[in-house]
Amino acid sequence: MQLRSMSTTMASFSPPSHLSATTPSPHSKPRLNKNGLLFSFRPRNLAFSPLKAAAESGAGTAVEPPLVEDSSLGTNGAAAVAAQTGQVKVVGGFLDPRWVGGTWDLTQFKKNGTTDWDAVIDAEARRRKWLEDNPESSSNENPVVFDTSIIPWWAWMKRFHLPEAELLNGRAAMIGFFMAYFVDSLTGVGLVDQMGNFFCKTLLFVAVAGVLLIRKNEDLDNLKKLFDETTLYDKQWQATWQDENSSTIKKE
Amino acid sequence: MNSIAFKSFAGLRQSSPEAPPLAAHPSRLARRRGLRVVAGKFSPKLQGRSLRVAVVGGGPAGGCAAETLAKGGVETFLIERKMDNCKPCGGAIPLCMVGEFDLPLDIIDRRVTKMKMISPSNVAVDIGRTLKPHEYIGMVRREVLDSYLRDRAKQNGANVINGLFLKMDVPQDANSPYVLHYSSYDGKTGGVGEKRTLEVDAVIGADGANSRVAKSIDAGDYDYAIAFQERIKIPDDKMVYYENLAEMYVGDDVSPDFYGWVFPKCDHVAVGTGTVTHKGDIKKFQLATRKRAEDKIQGGKIIRVEAHPIPEHPRPRRLSGRVALVGDAAGYVTKCSGEGIYFAAKSGMMCAEAIVEGSENGKRMVEEGDLRKYLEKWDKTYLPTYRVLDVLQKVFYRSNPAREAFVEMCADEYVQKMTFDSYLYKTVVPGNPLEDLKLAINTVGSLMRANAIRKEMKKLNV
Repeated sequence: MQLRSMSTTMASFSPPSHLSATTPSPHSKPRLNKNGLLFSFRPRNLAFSPLKAAAESGAGTAVEPPLVEDSSLGTNGAAAVAAQTGQVKVVGGFLDPRWVGGTWDLTQFKKNGTTDWDAVIDAEARRRKWLEDNPESSSNENPVVFDTSIIPWWAWMKRFHLPEAELLNGRAAMIGFFMAYFVDSLTGVGLVDQMGNFFCKTLLFVAVAGVLLIRKNEDLDNLKKLFDETTLYDKQWQATWQDENSSTIKKE
Repeated sequence: MNSIAFKSFAGLRQSSPEAPPLAAHPSRLARRRGLRVVAGKFSPKLQGRSLRVAVVGGGPAGGCAAETLAKGGVETFLIERKMDNCKPCGGAIPLCMVGEFDLPLDIIDRRVTKMKMISPSNVAVDIGRTLKPHEYIGMVRREVLDSYLRDRAKQNGANVINGLFLKMDVPQDANSPYVLHYSSYDGKTGGVGEKRTLEVDAVIGADGANSRVAKSIDAGDYDYAIAFQERIKIPDDKMVYYENLAEMYVGDDVSPDFYGWVFPKCDHVAVGTGTVTHKGDIKKFQLATRKRAEDKIQGGKIIRVEAHPIPEHPRPRRLSGRVALVGDAAGYVTKCSGEGIYFAAKSGMMCAEAIVEGSENGKRMVEEGDLRKYLEKWDKTYLPTYRVLDVLQKVFYRSNPAREAFVEMCADEYVQKMTFDSYLYKTVVPGNPLEDLKLAINTVGSLMRANAIRKEMKKLNV
């Protein structure tokens, strides 16, 4: 089913004309964003080799795969293998020219003189995704030593925190405005006076907490499950003590 | 939901008697203060004999219990069904066990001084840098350890009976004996044993995860994990790598709620994994574990395949009348690490100590209150440890991002020191508050980073 969904996704994307699969060329940015989706998970169902060959041929000729958009495939795969079409022996595992010595070579991620942290995050996400689907043996000769903490905190902020913060603040603002209007229309208490009222302050607190904690519909159930989880182990341990008091009373 | 259930153990014991507004559990509020009998002083003195106690099960829990009882002057009967049982087990014992139980050093096959944690994306972290030269995790063969403890019990005066416990007749009053029915295998190999009975005053159930004693006292069930392990003999050059190193693999491929391991044994390695929630897929997880360790165990031959259950939490009832459960039968295996040998032995010892004290060295009859003391002491001493490990498991074994964060955190020296100190000496060490704060911040940071990358990963496969 993954193949099918991937195919549909790929079919719906129109890739830039000529994506080089191997070199960290100036194409790297567009390649990594939308079209990062296009890289090959498909090899799992098709033979590895033709796709890999297609990948590093760089000429965008899709050797075998049925989809036309395939030329963009394979930033993953045997990118490092010398260009040859046809059957390529599967070297195995995750290979990427920027993955050197068990970590990401930051010099290859330069954009306008500074490191493109977004690209590093993307690359690591792809590596982990690859490994999740194709678990590899961990080896002592090629240890993985990449640590995500080398990516500076502001890169994470800019990419992940800020968009979500914007979303949540927007929701809070909308809810706040309408709640203020609603309460005012019902009770005639203006915004400033509402802030002095305990009940209104409680409503405000509930609204903020709700916006923070409940971001998707599933979160309601998740929070309940989480609460049960935190107390379950304790309950299991106390079970024998509940028994004690009831049995002693019986003895009496 | 009765709020008393959430109070800590100590709080429950000290709750003052209130007018019972909670109709659901009125019995819980009545204090036992008036009933609390001190050390069997009101129990009848036994005329002309010592207290008789049966220990069912001859593993670490049973062996230690029997030894402590025998040393305390109690007439002890240790019932074990298979004297040469080669139990499937990780086989790791903490450093403190050697000292606390006076174990001879030749029982330990290997001293593990290094551990490697390997994340789902194969980030490998070496832990053990903070260990002092005399500190190690001991790897033992269960058959060697178990028989040593049983023999020591025998030397101290316990009667070791080779038999299979069948069932138990519970007495109706506080002074009648328990009648144990068992099949005796004395000297017979194979075949059905001879049915015998044994009358004792108290019973310690140390018969493991599928405890029959627990069944006879209606102790209730627990959730359990299946641990599956293959013993693999690998070529000598590869064995050098595992000389004193154990590996832990985490990842959804290896186990959804536990970890896969490679532990060195006397002359081979044990490669295994475990799970609670997906027991049916255990073989798949085992293959994945072997694949992750492939480079290092290549050319190995599987010499044995074994599986055993690991309790996840204590049974609802660990004590009934004058019958107490210890070890795996009670469910004293920690979460997160799945460690059970030390706790089995210690609980056996503690329970036996409570009996010896309550009976004043075997002179008086014991009663339930005396055995309750063992539960009290146990919970007071080790509940923090169990709780901390439970939290660790809940936070860090949740998902792949959590496991990545876990491995990242383990690279930190402070974490390593705290982990090993608490593992080797079995105390929850408070630690430096500033470092704890730093650790908390780093943990949150790691978790957030890993989850952020996971969000990106999800986008990659729409």
